[in-house]
Amino acid sequence: MSQTTTIRGNNQRKLLKGLLSVRNISRITALIPPAALVFVTAILFVEALPAIKYNGLGFLNHTQWRPGNFYVNPVTTNGVSHPVGASYGALPLILGTIESAVLALVIAVPISIGAALVIVQKLPDRFSQGVGLFLEILAGIPSVIFGLWGTLTLGPILARDVFPYISRIVPNIPIFNFFKGNTGHGEGLLTSGIVLAIMVIPIIASTSRDLLRQVPRLTKEGGTALGFTDWETNKLVALPWIRTGMIGASVLGLARALGETMAVAMTSGAVLGANPSNAFLPMTTIAATIVSQLDSALTDATGLATRTLAEGALLLTVITLVTNIAARLLVRKVSSTALPIGRGI
Amino acid sequence: MMEWKEDTDMQSFGDLHQNARFSEFNVEKDSSDLIIATRGLTLGFGQKTVLSDINLSVIRGSITALIGPSGSGKTTFLRSLNRMNDNVKGYWRKGDVLFNSSSIWSPDTDLLALRRRMGMLFQRANPFPMSIEHNVVAGVKAHNIAKKSQLKQIARLRLEEVGLWGAVENRLHDSPFRLSGGQQQLLCLARALAIGPDVLLLDEPTSALDPISIEAVENLILDLSPAISFIVVTHNLAQARRISHNTAFFYEGQLKEYGPTKRIFNDPSHPETQRYVSGRMG
Repeated sequence: MSQTTTIRGNNQRKLLKGLLSVRNISRITALIPPAALVFVTAILFVEALPAIKYNGLGFLNHTQWRPGNFYVNPVTTNGVSHPVGASYGALPLILGTIESAVLALVIAVPISIGAALVIVQKLPDRFSQGVGLFLEILAGIPSVIFGLWGTLTLGPILARDVFPYISRIVPNIPIFNFFKGNTGHGEGLLTSGIVLAIMVIPIIASTSRDLLRQVPRLTKEGGTALGFTDWETNKLVALPWIRTGMIGASVLGLARALGETMAVAMTSGAVLGANPSNAFLPMTTIAATIVSQLDSALTDATGLATRTLAEGALLLTVITLVTNIAARLLVRKVSSTALPIGRGI
Repeated sequence: MMEWKEDTDMQSFGDLHQNARFSEFNVEKDSSDLIIATRGLTLGFGQKTVLSDINLSVIRGSITALIGPSGSGKTTFLRSLNRMNDNVKGYWRKGDVLFNSSSIWSPDTDLLALRRRMGMLFQRANPFPMSIEHNVVAGVKAHNIAKKSQLKQIARLRLEEVGLWGAVENRLHDSPFRLSGGQQQLLCLARALAIGPDVLLLDEPTSALDPISIEAVENLILDLSPAISFIVVTHNLAQARRISHNTAFFYEGQLKEYGPTKRIFNDPSHPETQRYVSGRMG
């Protein structure tokens, strides 16, 4: 009798153990992140479906953003009920998102690499720990604080002292001529780009710092012994050594910049329905539009406005995914040519 | 008696040794024949003294082996010659090192030019994260020695010189990290040779290599001498016997004994040297 109990007990334990085995638990936990991504994307898609039907491909290449007239009876087009005159084009949002994020990276990457090099190679241990601490604190500051600072303090200073100077010295050739002309009032693309840069610098700089610490001393000494200057050793040995890791870190920063909402909503000028004619003028991004338009969108009885915002969110997800995949392909290409460490993204 | 037996085993390398140009040189030659001479070199880090009063003269074109137990200061000595220690925390020194009769620390000395003329090879291969071809000419480019159009030719020449050309001919643009350890070390040697050094400082260059690669590196050293003077730190006593003309025995931060390799191994004058070369201290 007692023996059967023991045996049954053992079987139950075995069964429980089988279900809750390390392997099963890790399988389940490993599935959660991809499942969450699929779930979120699917829900966004379902939510956005009426808007996708109504807005069509014009959503991607039209400029105007008109919710229509909420005070007369809605009409139905393509089976979708919508306010009279509703017309949504997200081109300025898409451009604004990409432009501000790219600007942020262009500013942040060189500064981050420079900061990491100084922290690792030049500063005495005590100071380098202090600066490292500051980087981590900077990374933890809520974005609304950056936004407020950007719009109240930084923007006006830039518009008064810096933008006119940039506009004056930049050559009048393609790409650069985007930084010429009316310098605005301090809310706009470049201000957002700079604030975003400050927000992504901690991410990229601390990763670069950790990567630089992994470069073998012997390899750097090889450069020194060959008669390289410190700068040549960095340029030819240390930085190439961490190249793949740097691409990964930059993409992390880019993803943050693409999706950053509050700081951009506050510093971009949040102008809808127009492309800025130069880098100093107000613009908006997908994320900033979602947060700034949500209130008024909720008053659209047909729901088209909120569904359009969902479509925007879906678009942002797609942009982020494409960026990540592109970066992975880039890392694979680069790492097949040389690199021993820092494959990680 | 073991050590004598070992000696007879070494006979096959005896020819190399016999033919070596400077094997019977007296260490105290007049200064124009000296490529490197240290004068009372004393140095350390922080509170610690690592080397005391080292007076060692290296004859131009010779192969000099530095032997001694771990921690005896051989590597520190070697790294002082091309001033690799200068930036180490707490480093201090007294005395001087003369390279071609002028002090390596004199204000007129261009540190980068000094390192160009005094190449270095490390314990483990340390190729740069760039293609094989670029590795070979990295120093050439940095020192601006050759025109861009000549770089390919230089890379080929140096790879042929170290006997690596056949193995890498078809993958010059590949990563050096896929080569074997021995091939990587030969690549580093090619890289060091490409800038045309007068002296090569070798810090246990074969300690991580297989016997075949060791032989390749040793033969290269013998071939390149006397055009290039070599100073080799080694824990491999047989290697010191095989390739060096003169041997310096370091012990507890002091240069205990220095002279022709044959004499140091067969008839050492210090008891410590005797104990070390006979394998009773290691």
